[in-house]
Amino acid sequence: MDTEMHGLAGLVHTPLFGILLTLISYRFALWVYGKSNSLPLFHPFLVASIPVIVVLPLVGVNYEEYREQTTLIAFLLGPATVALAWPLYRQLHTVRSVLTPIIIATVIGAFIAAGISVGLAWWLGAPQDVIASLAPKSITTPIAVEVVKSTGGSESLVAGAVAITGIVGALAAGPVFRLLKVNDDRIRGFALGLVAHAIGTARAFEYGEKAGAFSGLALGLCGLVTALALPWIWPWIAGFLS
Amino acid sequence: MIDGLLILLFFQFLGEVVIRLTGLPLPAPVLGMVLLLLALLLNAPFSQRVAPAAGALIKHISLLIFPLGVGIVLQWDRYQDNALALVVAVVGGTLLSLVLVTLMLKLLMGGKHREKGGDGHGH
Repeated sequence: MDTEMHGLAGLVHTPLFGILLTLISYRFALWVYGKSNSLPLFHPFLVASIPVIVVLPLVGVNYEEYREQTTLIAFLLGPATVALAWPLYRQLHTVRSVLTPIIIATVIGAFIAAGISVGLAWWLGAPQDVIASLAPKSITTPIAVEVVKSTGGSESLVAGAVAITGIVGALAAGPVFRLLKVNDDRIRGFALGLVAHAIGTARAFEYGEKAGAFSGLALGLCGLVTALALPWIWPWIAGFLS
Repeated sequence: MIDGLLILLFFQFLGEVVIRLTGLPLPAPVLGMVLLLLALLLNAPFSQRVAPAAGALIKHISLLIFPLGVGIVLQWDRYQDNALALVVAVVGGTLLSLVLVTLMLKLLMGGKHREKGGDGHGH
């Protein structure tokens, strides 16, 4: 392998290859997403994964090696999480007068969203590390990935669970709101942001600016509440599960 | 852009410092986010400088995330035993959560000044 590193074939074992593959796949996914008029089913998370999943086995790079190649990209998740303070600050500013009911709704909602996924996974006999990966699935991915690091779940699993949650939530929102006769844009936005994080927020903006703003606020607050509560509560839940 | 990145990394570092000193069981970037939010609420003079870097990172969050997600497929042998639990918890759990959260919000927020939303032109 060491001699191979210098030949042309060894190129696939360099960070340059992994990062280039990642960026090309993402660029392609953005193009597809634009062409589809931002359909949740064609979300860049799903589409960008396909070329990577196809190419890596073909060139003989396994997932661990790919993760090492793309360390630079993974590193940016940290500052991206810190960056969420900015939109949260802007949304908080606009709804200061109704902050108390909003925070109460966030705490109850975060508890419902996390509790249901934990409960279902436990009921179906999933092991503890899988349950730990599902608990933060309704919150925005960078925070969810950080939370999972402290509750001992799988980063891959949580990234996937969060993305699918967002897509399912965004797709189901229309029928659910019609069924429950919800006409209030604040409720539509808040529910979407709480359950389906950023993908739900993109959907909420289709109902208008107000729904989008409430969704962004719910996304930020729900992520914050879950991230602050789960690492404390988790040892207790884990004790109950085992 | 550089100023923004510097501020974000500084607050992440600050979060890391606090966690190492106190042993809080929180992720450092989350604590960094809380500290930055507090600084912004206290009208820190650099608030406008955060915007470009924060906006760029958040806009392209999928780029940072999807390399993690491909692990589900490439390491499927790790997860296949729990496939049913995963699908039911993720898909069913999301639908159930959406219904319950919407009902809860209707109860909490629906009573007062009910508004006519954009029914009909949202699809």
